[in-house]
Amino acid sequence: MKTRNLSPENYRTELGKCIKKHLSSKDGDRLDVASHFILRAAYCRTEDLRRWFLTQECHLFKYRLESASSNNGNALKEFLARNDFALDRVSRAEKEGMRGKLLSVTGGPNPVEFLSTDYYRVPFVQALELVARRECYVEDGFAFVPLTRIVSIVVAKFRVSLSKSMALAVGAFGQVAHEESTRIGPLLKSMNSQYTGPSTPDAMVGLDGERVLTAATVDGLAAQSMPLCMQQLHTGLKRDHKLKHQGRLQFGLFLKGSGMSLEEHTLFFQREFTRIMTSEQFNKQYSYSIRHMHGKEGKRASYTPYNCMKIIMGNPPQSGVEHHGCPYKHYDDQNLSALLGKLKIGDSADRDAIMRLKKEGNFQLACAKQFEVQHPLASTVAGVNMDGVGNHPNAWFNASVSYHQAKSGGDSGMDAVKKEEAVM
Amino acid sequence: MGAAATNDDEEFEFGVDTTSTKKARTSSSQGAPSTSTTNAGNKSSPADASVVFSPELLAMYYSRLFPYHMLYSWLSYDPATAKPGNNAKAGSSLGSACTFPRREFSMTIEPQPGNEVYIRYQSFLSQDELMEAIQKRRPVKIDIGAVFNYPPKDNKSLPSGKLQTQERELVFDIDLTDYDDVRNCGCSGAKICGKCWKFMGMAIKVMDEGLRKDFGFKNLAWFYSGRRGVHCWVCDESARKLSNDARSAVASYFEVDLGSEKNKNFHITSPVHPTLSRAYRVLEPEFVKDVLPEEGHGIMSSRKMWTKLLTTLPESCMSVADKLDKKWQKENSTPREKWVELKKGIMTLIGKTGHAKAQKNLSNSERVKIEHWPMETVFRYTYPRLDINVSKMQNHLLKSPFCVHPKTGRVCVPIEVDSADCFDPFAVPTLAQLMTELDDYEAENGKDESIEDWQKTSLKGPFENFQKKFLKPLLDEERRILRERREMSIASW
Repeated sequence: MKTRNLSPENYRTELGKCIKKHLSSKDGDRLDVASHFILRAAYCRTEDLRRWFLTQECHLFKYRLESASSNNGNALKEFLARNDFALDRVSRAEKEGMRGKLLSVTGGPNPVEFLSTDYYRVPFVQALELVARRECYVEDGFAFVPLTRIVSIVVAKFRVSLSKSMALAVGAFGQVAHEESTRIGPLLKSMNSQYTGPSTPDAMVGLDGERVLTAATVDGLAAQSMPLCMQQLHTGLKRDHKLKHQGRLQFGLFLKGSGMSLEEHTLFFQREFTRIMTSEQFNKQYSYSIRHMHGKEGKRASYTPYNCMKIIMGNPPQSGVEHHGCPYKHYDDQNLSALLGKLKIGDSADRDAIMRLKKEGNFQLACAKQFEVQHPLASTVAGVNMDGVGNHPNAWFNASVSYHQAKSGGDSGMDAVKKEEAVM
Repeated sequence: MGAAATNDDEEFEFGVDTTSTKKARTSSSQGAPSTSTTNAGNKSSPADASVVFSPELLAMYYSRLFPYHMLYSWLSYDPATAKPGNNAKAGSSLGSACTFPRREFSMTIEPQPGNEVYIRYQSFLSQDELMEAIQKRRPVKIDIGAVFNYPPKDNKSLPSGKLQTQERELVFDIDLTDYDDVRNCGCSGAKICGKCWKFMGMAIKVMDEGLRKDFGFKNLAWFYSGRRGVHCWVCDESARKLSNDARSAVASYFEVDLGSEKNKNFHITSPVHPTLSRAYRVLEPEFVKDVLPEEGHGIMSSRKMWTKLLTTLPESCMSVADKLDKKWQKENSTPREKWVELKKGIMTLIGKTGHAKAQKNLSNSERVKIEHWPMETVFRYTYPRLDINVSKMQNHLLKSPFCVHPKTGRVCVPIEVDSADCFDPFAVPTLAQLMTELDDYEAENGKDESIEDWQKTSLKGPFENFQKKFLKPLLDEERRILRERREMSIASW
């Protein structure tokens, strides 16, 4: 959700909606608790996963605390009391004595509210956020914090204790995963790489019921509707007439996810690859793996297309030879900027905005921004589902195709493609 | 450089000291001690009479003057070491609780002139081991790192990632280099003079008071860094145990963004935090005394200089500025009088002087600007400029006290806080001076084995002060803590 670059307020409302949607059944609480612990187990394995999980859980925790305290200040007090938070309340007389100092802090209560505000004395290490910004009065190792800001302290405490138990969990994980190696072990291990958005986006189907993506339309659609990573793979394939292993997987599974059938997929790759090799060679070396991708060979598993996380965290491409990966993550600033210019994505202000996000390390936000630039007002167009844009290349593609379908006045989206092709 | 910016406790990388700008070191990779060489060196020949530093002088210093016991006693935090002579028993009274053997030392040695080698992950079981290593290697620089979970010298035999920091003093580094834009004395970079050194005295006062009053730390030691700055070591147990996050928070608490060379418009937010108000109360008199006048940085000593200062006033004060400019040209008032007059003049505009009426047409933000102008001006010159990266990480190395700076030949002596503003870096003895002092003492009194050699030199003052004002209270407190813990454990039986 972070990837959509929402304002804090929007973030809160969206998070609220999400919680309602997923956790408001009568089993909500039970499910919530269960899911929390399952995720704990799944995300304790590496430093990166732990950090990600901690961040998400702290957001959620903070959201809930804030809702509790905004509805009714007493709810927060009750919570604190129930959880035995040793917060030392400053007596009225003492508070009055420190009035000048307590009020000389930004973000605190105003002089009118001061009278009714309770202050707490906490060891400064429990209020680091506030201390770092000089947003509380500090004396003799203690921070003096008004009740309203206790939230950030409680969140910090929550974070520390969760972090500790995650560290404990990782110690136990090895054994549990071993004992459960046939049951929940693999499930836990793969949980972080599963895509759970609106599940794997469904294949795009044109209004006439035909599948949109075929060997015939792929070139036009690549330019019109594929995210940058897939466009780069497409360009690479057209230029070199082959793709390296990682690229074949990333691109192939994307095509499959976008609804390209096994036959069309083979046809398309054959058309390109046979420019530099014979059909026999292609059949021998490559068609097996395409069938494998579609679940027709080997263990006949249906492989899911890669989501952005997987692409970003994957091995970086070898420059000049490989074309997989995420351009926002793996290209340097100069190359990416040149590429955006060459593809004429938006005006220079747009490109600057995209580059800024890339430089901040917000690769997915940068990609979503590119979508926004190329599909003005997309969120207002009926039938365009932007939920996964910036999270899954297939979601990007689907949103783009439906955007163009809607824009071309409900005609079959194919017209747009044909127009594109005519231009090309 | 291997300095890593991570705020997570569990993750760690090794920061290489950043206090040195003269050497280009290759970074050290995690898990393996690294050595690297550079070609910076001392070209001076030992025969030169004016030489303040040479390998021979350094060898002499390490064999006769270096206060091993003081350093050991301090870093072992072991009250049993309080008396000299109790030094050989490495933490015997504490067993594995003693942190000294798990403390990282690193050394910069110069096997051949001009060829520096940097050795990390040294650790020593005892004072004698430390002394032996120092006397054998004769490092031109010794750095002190963190206390690890294992003796860092074993790091090669430990699986990678096993060696983790456990504690470390909270340290601060303040360098005059960071004051270049306000050093009107003509100094810049590593060059210093008595005028700009005043900034260090002021920084020490503010930091020392802040750390004691706001954070409740008691055991603070300040040292001259040997050339152009000062170091602070906060040694309370609570400070030693601080996480990296907490270190960052404390450092940011003291950090004030003073604006850059280009963008001099920094503004203090309203209301002014109590710690900043207190810093202002400390700094303003010093500013008036040591920055304003000709013999300071002269920012109110001539028309050219005061016009420059007056242009920094908020727009609404320009009428006041004009009036004062004309007045000052005619009369011969002191910078202090001018400063008082100026403050009074602008405060009248916002009705803060009592009798005069405030101008009604001022916006609120303009009022705040005027009110804060004196503080912002004082801070721009005198507020401590920390190198906060040094403070943020447990494993950041910092030059050991009592070292000798190879470029100046001066010893990194302790600075007494109460007289920090009188501390004169040029009075700190150089190696050559110390040798002469030793010779002179012995010519007069013969060889005296009953006292330490450093007591025969001008190191006596600062070293004994350090023992009395820092080391003794520190060890007393450690003793008290130990006793309390022992009583607690008995009580809980």
